[in-house]
Amino acid sequence: MSEFEPKIVAFVCNWCTYAGADLTGTSRIKYASNVRMIRLPCTGRIDFMLLLKAFEQGADGIIVSGCHPNDCHYTAGNFHARRRWMMFRSLLDFLGIDTRRIHFAWVSAAEGAKWAEFVNSVTDQVRKLGPNEQYQKLSQAGVE
Amino acid sequence: MEELRKKARELLTSGAVKVIIGYGPGSGKRVRAVFVRKPEQADLLICDDRCLQNLAVYLTKPEVKALGKAAVVARLPTLRAILQLAAENQLTDGQVVALGISPEGKMTELSQFKAIEEFLAGFSFELSAEEKATLEKLDQMTPEQRWQFWQEQFAKCVRCYGCRASCPLCYCEKCLAECNQPQWIPAASHQIGNLDWHIIRAMHLANRCVNCGDCSRACPVGIPLHLLNQKLAEEVFKQFGARSGMKAAQEYALCNWKLEDRENFIK
Amino acid sequence: MARIGVFICHCGENIAGTVDVFKVAEAAGKFPGVVHSVEYKYMCSDPGQTMIKDAIKEKKLTGVVVAACSPRMHEPTFRRACAEAGLNPFLCEMANIREHCSWVHEKGEATTQKAIELIRIMVEKVKRNKPLYSIKVPVTKTALVLGGGIAGIQAALDIANAGHQVILVERSPSIGGHMLQLSETFPTLDCSQCILTPRMVEVAQHPKITLYTYSELESLDGFIGNFKARIRRKARGVDEKLCTGCGVCIQKCPQKKIPSEFDAGMGKRTAIYVPCPQSVPNQPVIDREHCTYYIKGKCKICEKFCERKAIRLDQQDEIIEVNVGAVVAATGFDILHSKDFPEYGYGKYPDVIDGLQFERLASASGPTLGAIKRPSDGKEPETVVFIACAGSRDDAKGIPYCSKICCMYTAKHAMLYKHKVHNGKAYVFYMDIRAGGKNYEEFVRRAIEEDGAVYLRGRVSRIYEEDGKLIVKGVDTLLGAQPVEIKADMVVLATAIVANQDAESLAQKLRVSYDPYHFLSEAHPKLRPVETNTAGIFLAGACQAPKDIPEAVAQASGAAAKVAGLFSSSELSREPVIAVVNRLPPPVFSTCTGCFLCEKACPYQAIEREEIKDRKGNVIKVVAKVNPGLCQGCGTCVALCRVKAIDLQGFTNEQVYCELMAL
Repeated sequence: MSEFEPKIVAFVCNWCTYAGADLTGTSRIKYASNVRMIRLPCTGRIDFMLLLKAFEQGADGIIVSGCHPNDCHYTAGNFHARRRWMMFRSLLDFLGIDTRRIHFAWVSAAEGAKWAEFVNSVTDQVRKLGPNEQYQKLSQAGVE
Repeated sequence: MEELRKKARELLTSGAVKVIIGYGPGSGKRVRAVFVRKPEQADLLICDDRCLQNLAVYLTKPEVKALGKAAVVARLPTLRAILQLAAENQLTDGQVVALGISPEGKMTELSQFKAIEEFLAGFSFELSAEEKATLEKLDQMTPEQRWQFWQEQFAKCVRCYGCRASCPLCYCEKCLAECNQPQWIPAASHQIGNLDWHIIRAMHLANRCVNCGDCSRACPVGIPLHLLNQKLAEEVFKQFGARSGMKAAQEYALCNWKLEDRENFIK
Repeated sequence: MARIGVFICHCGENIAGTVDVFKVAEAAGKFPGVVHSVEYKYMCSDPGQTMIKDAIKEKKLTGVVVAACSPRMHEPTFRRACAEAGLNPFLCEMANIREHCSWVHEKGEATTQKAIELIRIMVEKVKRNKPLYSIKVPVTKTALVLGGGIAGIQAALDIANAGHQVILVERSPSIGGHMLQLSETFPTLDCSQCILTPRMVEVAQHPKITLYTYSELESLDGFIGNFKARIRRKARGVDEKLCTGCGVCIQKCPQKKIPSEFDAGMGKRTAIYVPCPQSVPNQPVIDREHCTYYIKGKCKICEKFCERKAIRLDQQDEIIEVNVGAVVAATGFDILHSKDFPEYGYGKYPDVIDGLQFERLASASGPTLGAIKRPSDGKEPETVVFIACAGSRDDAKGIPYCSKICCMYTAKHAMLYKHKVHNGKAYVFYMDIRAGGKNYEEFVRRAIEEDGAVYLRGRVSRIYEEDGKLIVKGVDTLLGAQPVEIKADMVVLATAIVANQDAESLAQKLRVSYDPYHFLSEAHPKLRPVETNTAGIFLAGACQAPKDIPEAVAQASGAAAKVAGLFSSSELSREPVIAVVNRLPPPVFSTCTGCFLCEKACPYQAIEREEIKDRKGNVIKVVAKVNPGLCQGCGTCVALCRVKAIDLQGFTNEQVYCELMAL
């Protein structure tokens, strides 16, 4: 049997991480092809419900990434997002949802190499965790 | 109790308020919310330790607003709910008279938000030792155990939305649960929809919940929903130093930020 | 029904080399709603764009997905092509299968599969795209230039000469900035004041420039084309309309021993003063901190002697409001000060001075009239040590960056000293000589070869005083890290260039980003060097990073060109990626609950309150409304809104939700 290949969904802001990932491309740095990127204008736009939906759609791992503090294109979207993720993550943990499947990073437009490293490290970690059984079981549970 | 009835009669007779929202006799030994509109009905009012419901839930209802200016029998969570509603532009100062009831049962008339703020300043809103212990017990479980615990709880959920109906802060006319384009929350009482609903509700109540416990009391299948809200309230207080419902001009922690907000998970 | 066209670009070998584009085209053709799926060698080429335009017309497409490079590269290109074919440009999306796929993954099945999925995601998104229309906003054709140094002067003159109104705000009593303090400038050694003062006069006399000196920006609201600035005009104590600049008040002022900021503390000034005789405007201000009248309540000598009766001792600060369409920040820099160099005895020994102080000593208009005299006893120093990189490139001082101009001005200082003190000895300690620039390297070589400055590659560890001499202890790394000890009469530190102390608060007022050292950030380090991330706010000079005069002037002219471009039309159009609060038929009107928690979250104060009234004019409901001119489209409010009453055009909930459903 071939090794399990996780499905990773990345929510990224347009100005820093999306551009950073573009730089990874122009620098021809190779990384795991498991990641699918969803482009949004700003981390401030990333609704926590989108993360829930990604899990429901079979994501084994999630990446959320945007501009470093003070670098937000919109000056403060990432600060708002940071507070929200602090709360969201502790709620998920309280519910027993495996937070090792959700990874957050600041990746600037200049950090092409960091993006590649980050995607690789998340993919490795999630690959080790195996499929997201918690959610898979939920979807299979059916209406009773 | 007599004091309360007397004040109610007074307020209605003078026309200062049109309706008193309070507790009255329900079926059997239970109490229920009553809307007293005539001075002679003031004797219906009850105030004892059975009276726990957060009556602020009625203040935002159009039917109740249509009755005219209201006075509400208000335990501490109700007072906090009034201030929180004020902070969210749902109540204006002078629109409501709160008949504040201290934990000892003493009544104080509070007709301005400022008076409510000053009244509340005399109390601590830390969780009780018992409440803390319950949260800690859950915190100390392994994630798998916690998952097991909550999945067993949520499996019972029939999505009656009693939690929502009982909550004074769930005043949205069109709740996200009713939104179907896109359908964020699957409508059926399916495991995924149930999990979505309770996560979304907890997130929406972070730094807004006033810890009245009505969601858990309203739940017909006994899910301890208040624990989710308490957990986030504690987290908000620990991380951002904010408590809901303490001031009418309160800032909402999640539409605010500080450069020095600290987390340990963003790489 | 959606009729989507998918156009897959080979990008030569860039995509086709790793992704099986034919397979991708075949797979995309089978997605629900896709009626046309083709691949081509270069989609962005003329024939490629023609393919798209033809397909839009022939197949009656309702949406287009171009799978090619990053949308940051060619989205405008393809959207324009769609518009030319009559399709609303916002019904075109790009799937990034180059930067995010073919360039970063190995050739193979997984990479092709990823490309297919990326296209599927965008197909699902584009099906929910709505036609959008660019937003038109009027432009106030007046520019606000903050800072009256050489960068601000240049920007103001260029904008004014392009025919637009300029308001130039300068914090100190005179324009001119640091350049006015300099003696001679590298690499030509022309006199700084001689080249600058005519420009200053031009500013003062220009019919299109309004000059507010001794003034500061209080706040800035609004958005590109429509800013509202509040400017604090600090109380000068002198009526500018009456004052002729005769200077009698200055001669008569009894307070004569105040260290002059203009002379970097090398000279003295009075309490009522102009920074220097060339000041523009040549009208004094009263320094209330040192004026006898404000300290003791009496004196008024200046008032007594002023023939024009221009002294206004009871004048108060005044706040004025101006409408401007663009802002150029040219607020300059500061240098590291004495407290940061205890090891060099800077601040303790009077003969250890900084570069600006040396400029004043060397300046013909300075306190010594250009004679190099050391501050302690006024003697001509026989040996002078110049230390480059004092603070710069030093992590221990928190300044890892290079201050850029010190190598050059240190060479200039050594040269000026040698020109004035022919048998003096000039030593320069340096880390590296960075002389990149036209005629710069030649200039440094001249200092070494013609003027005999002794360059020692190494750092100075300590300076202390012994027998009236400053003992400079350092190493010469080119001689095998041999310790060097020089008995000097004066030491000049080329202290690091740092951001102004209030740069951070200025950045916050302007809502522009800044780096960890508080230099204001440009929008793109290479391609948008004079813009900021806030539309309509531009940068010029050293507030962005350390730079020399030619660079500051070039950037100022660049910023001015941007402003003139902005002002070239009376309306400007913006991408309609903005938030919108829903409106529904009565009795709901909007799902917005009016909690206004979004109001605080908005970084642009774009959320307004709208009262919904019945026919009699009674307010039924107060709901949020987004000001389309202010909204920049970050979407923070969207994520915050519990009922999803706010949505972001171009990235709507439905669009993003459907992208996820396509995973």
